[in-house]
Amino acid sequence: MSAIPGSPPFASISVHSPSGAAWEFLILFAVVILGPPLMQRARAPGIIGLLLGGFAIGPHGLDLIGAGNTTVPELGQLGLLYLMFVAGVELDLGLVRVHRNSVVGFGAITFAVPMALGVGVGAVLGWDVPASLLLGSLMASHTLLLYPTARGAGLSADRGVATAVGATVLTDTASLIVLAAVSGSQLAGGSSGSIAGQIVIGLAVLLVFTIVVLPRLVRLSFRYLGTDRVVRYLLAVAAFLSAAALAESFGIEGIVGAFFAGLALNRLVPNEGPLMERIDFFGSAVFVPVFLVSVGMLLDPAVMVGGETLKLAGLFILASIGGKAIASGIGRLAFGYSGAQTELMLGLTVPQAAAALAATIVGFDIGLFDQSVVNAVLVLILASIVVGTLLVERSVRRVPAPDVGDKLGRRVLVTLEDAEQAPLLFDLARRVTAADNGIVRGLLACAPADAGERQALLDELRAAAFAADIDAEPHLLVHDSLPEGVVNAAAAERASLVLVGQRPAAASAFGTAGEAVATASPAPVAILLGDARSIKNVRLARSDPDDRIDSATESLAARLATRLGAEGPTQAHPPKPGELLIVPAPSWEFLADPPEPPSGAAVLVVPEP
Amino acid sequence: MARRGRALLAPTVLAALALCGCGSISGSAGDFTPAHPGVLTVATSTVPTPGFWEGTPGRLTGGFEYELARRLAERFGLGSVRVKVVHFHRIVAGDLGGADLGMALITPTAEREAALDFSGPYFDAAPTIVVRSGTEVPDLASAEELRWGAVRSTTLVETIASRIAPDGATRIYDGQRQLLGALEAGKVDAVLFDLPLAVAIADHSGGRLDAVAQLPGPERIAVAMPKGSGNVEAVDSALRAFEADGTIHDLLEEWVGEEAADAEHSLPLLRTTRR
Repeated sequence: MSAIPGSPPFASISVHSPSGAAWEFLILFAVVILGPPLMQRARAPGIIGLLLGGFAIGPHGLDLIGAGNTTVPELGQLGLLYLMFVAGVELDLGLVRVHRNSVVGFGAITFAVPMALGVGVGAVLGWDVPASLLLGSLMASHTLLLYPTARGAGLSADRGVATAVGATVLTDTASLIVLAAVSGSQLAGGSSGSIAGQIVIGLAVLLVFTIVVLPRLVRLSFRYLGTDRVVRYLLAVAAFLSAAALAESFGIEGIVGAFFAGLALNRLVPNEGPLMERIDFFGSAVFVPVFLVSVGMLLDPAVMVGGETLKLAGLFILASIGGKAIASGIGRLAFGYSGAQTELMLGLTVPQAAAALAATIVGFDIGLFDQSVVNAVLVLILASIVVGTLLVERSVRRVPAPDVGDKLGRRVLVTLEDAEQAPLLFDLARRVTAADNGIVRGLLACAPADAGERQALLDELRAAAFAADIDAEPHLLVHDSLPEGVVNAAAAERASLVLVGQRPAAASAFGTAGEAVATASPAPVAILLGDARSIKNVRLARSDPDDRIDSATESLAARLATRLGAEGPTQAHPPKPGELLIVPAPSWEFLADPPEPPSGAAVLVVPEP
Repeated sequence: MARRGRALLAPTVLAALALCGCGSISGSAGDFTPAHPGVLTVATSTVPTPGFWEGTPGRLTGGFEYELARRLAERFGLGSVRVKVVHFHRIVAGDLGGADLGMALITPTAEREAALDFSGPYFDAAPTIVVRSGTEVPDLASAEELRWGAVRSTTLVETIASRIAPDGATRIYDGQRQLLGALEAGKVDAVLFDLPLAVAIADHSGGRLDAVAQLPGPERIAVAMPKGSGNVEAVDSALRAFEADGTIHDLLEEWVGEEAADAEHSLPLLRTTRR
């Protein structure tokens, strides 16, 4: 090709101003990247950076992403579903169970007081009943935006924190039910009776789906399709999308389904597990920030600084923060929390974000709220986050760290040399962690010379873990001294229990690997012997009084027996095929030459912790 | 509660109380104040417009936009709807003839927004080619060879110029009826209408006219209001409610027809990108 004679060089090159999907996503991600750190430098919460960034690029700001754009709002809608799913899946249901009385009591108060105040504000303003109820419900909900701060301060097991976390399940569920009822009454045709019937049936179907069907379906899918991590993640996403779609088909907001799906998958996705890390990663990197940016795009300064918006915002702040403060005060009197605990609970329950935004956006979409209400709620959100952040940051320093106790199933480290033992070890680990919503880590131990050969076994181990419904992410532990390597790994992983798989061949002149691990491990140890791949029956062996077994050993064996669903204690006769016998070790000598179970059976030796 | 917590809450409460002192409050979904008490006055450009304004200016019998106006009046607690017929070019220039709203398949543009306030869109419609039956428009090249016509001041004038770029000049008419008369009389070969209207016109033509293709890039159709109107929020909220509860879809199906409601998926797309 040759240039046209006489034409200036590069005349044929035309450069357009950037537009299109790539440009819009670039703008969007620039806000996600820059917004939070800029705000944090100004000592303000990062979330505000996302909201303000959304405003800056939106139709009321620089108009880089115009009002007609549908991509960002739709991606934001997905982010909202994701946020509600994460809120459900992250809740520590174990803590909720432990403090159920105060959870139910405080949950009812911290829902009812702001709800009543919100409805009252609506009534004073002359709003109709659906709008007033929706306003009340959005004030009654809260988002555990600051829970990571309390968790980071080691206060996740504090009674006040656990109560506030547990109360969130109640407040958000109740708020979302009010939202479902209000939006259903505005959307569905027919009489109020038929609308109520549809919502009740819809919620019943949704509950059955999320409590009964979804966990089983996801468990099966994890087992048969989920050996790939990407697939496991996508299955989790598909799970909450299916619940959201089901909810919407009954005229109930999709976020209700997403939240229930999170609760349904709560046990399948341990908080510190690899799948949760992935869910958190994509949520915090893309979906949730994009949702917040899309909300920021709604900010309209012309409306926000208007007298009507400011007046609404003032009333909302009074009703919401005032309601939560009154509820915390009543909670203190009723349940005897300390002043610092009460302040921390208030800080945790004041921030409005996901559920309030969801209710507001739904109210806007169905024509119950106008833009000034949306902007007033955004002002409320900003104010509640700032107030909550200050309250939590002050109070965490004054609430003493609780005595956590030893949760045996918090982090179980499974270490083995023979992959044949993996199915049973992982199955036992799953049972031990179930009650504590804990996680399992797998280690295949080997000497440096065997590392190459052993690497190939990791896939086999991963499959065995998935078959046991856990994501153990098995790693190779290469160490000259395997017991030392295991002990170091147990310390590094902050293990709550070490399950050691041991075959007779592992014994040396210096004793067994299990014995060596047990002597130095920072966590309790249990040693599995035998070649059984699965078991049908578990027995706890009755110890001989002459053996004078240490009480801590007896206690550990009993706790393991409870978690593994053992019978007993029974006579310590050898286990039959398909049977696991839990044996408290009477002495260290016992570990040096433990009884080898018959083929198809297993023995779990529990040495002195 | 700890003293520090109370110290923090106190200024929050004071600030909130201070905010409460600002401005007046309207309903949760905005308030509507009509120009004439108890009546919603609506300006439109052509009556009848098949499917959108049925009947005569003195005796309207239905139509999508007329029924939508009646639903708006019901929501705002107004007893009746009064219709004023105003030339389209006057409406988009900001003269609604004293009406509260303008509804005439109006697309918001920057120029129009200088003279009017607009609601959010109540539907999106692709510009659609209407021809005399038998005229084929298989591609852009054949479209360029046709004689085109359009109504003055509509966005479709610019659409024809920029995306069809016909060989001859586009003939401009003052109203929709003159334009359709010119099409039927053979003075022009092709015209553009918003998709549902194009399909409705073809349906009402007794087989003489045909909607043959849609252009990519649908246009937003919105309610116009006088500049500075305090009714924008209320109209916006109402349209969102009608979208959410299916009113708009139902009215489109009832007055413009199922075929028109689904035409977006069935009518061929004329690619207007030149190679």
